[in-house]
Amino acid sequence: MPAEIGSVKVEIDELAARLAKLFDGELVDVGVQMPDTVIAHLDRGELREVARRLKQLPEIGYDSCNWIAGVDQLTHLESVYHLYSFATNTYLELHVQVPRDKATCPTVSDVWPSADWHERESWDMVGIKYEGHPDLRRILLKDDWIGHPLRKDYVDLIENHPNV
Amino acid sequence: MGLRDNLPPPIAGRLKYPKLEHFQQPNVITTTADFIFNWARSHSVFPFTYGLACCAIEMLSSGFARFDVARYGMEVFRPTPRQCDLMIVAGTCNEKMAPVLKRLYDQMAEPKWVISMGACATSGGPFYDGYNVVNGVDKVVPVDVYIPGCPPRPEALFQGLLELQKVIQQMKFVPPKLAKAGAGEPGVETAPAAAVQPAAAARER
Repeated sequence: MPAEIGSVKVEIDELAARLAKLFDGELVDVGVQMPDTVIAHLDRGELREVARRLKQLPEIGYDSCNWIAGVDQLTHLESVYHLYSFATNTYLELHVQVPRDKATCPTVSDVWPSADWHERESWDMVGIKYEGHPDLRRILLKDDWIGHPLRKDYVDLIENHPNV
Repeated sequence: MGLRDNLPPPIAGRLKYPKLEHFQQPNVITTTADFIFNWARSHSVFPFTYGLACCAIEMLSSGFARFDVARYGMEVFRPTPRQCDLMIVAGTCNEKMAPVLKRLYDQMAEPKWVISMGACATSGGPFYDGYNVVNGVDKVVPVDVYIPGCPPRPEALFQGLLELQKVIQQMKFVPPKLAKAGAGEPGVETAPAAAVQPAAAARER
């Protein structure tokens, strides 16, 4: 059971400092976006371990994965995790860099089951392959679609449009 | 309708749809098969409950009491294609939906009609260059009436339905070959009958 919403009173700056101390060396560039979001970057190799610890963090406990965004930043891709803590009523935004030429990222669908479909959507649109995902298929487009349409270098082929 | 009307001379014989009490002989109507079938079909169209996007909201509101599509005899929205003869494509059709749309259309029984409601279903609309949008539902199924608008108001949908009634009323129910035979060419009608007659007579004997 998640805690009652906002039952733990904590200032967002203090929370950011606590997270930076707890995950020293793993979360880098820890910042705050007012009023209630902590932003942090981390390496994709440490994602699963950090995710597991974040969910079971005493008192804070990021027990909800609201959504996962795939972003094309031209130089690299990015998988952005939006986590929510019921106890403190705050958000945590995790940015994970993924190289374009080898776009793989470990899955967190076993930590937060809600991540399952979000990872499928990110794979569908941006083409980030989530390793260890139980059923990584396209979710919005047809199964035989060629390319990932939200990449900046996407080219729309005529094979995708049999009715034209 | 081919009977004398029980009406004063200025309007006698000029009603498009005379009621039964207007006829001198009650309960008898003489008309053509084309007229009676088209009259019945065009005033009891069963639309398909099939909404793809925001146009479906207008289609729903046209079904409820404020606009009330029942005034045109089309209120029976059916949830299965087997019971429908009108598909109102209300909304954007995308590439993943197109095969489903085609399949649902194929499941409808003849005779069947399609209305393309709104800019998206007609041409792709504001999403015409989207990577997943079919530019016009007429690339997948044959369309009878197009309704412009984004989305069209229920009144516009009603005008489209009235246009569809005109389309239905122009249908020919009787196939042309049969109509020609019925028009009384004695050679066509009597020759088979004459061939049967001697055999029947032989059996009686």
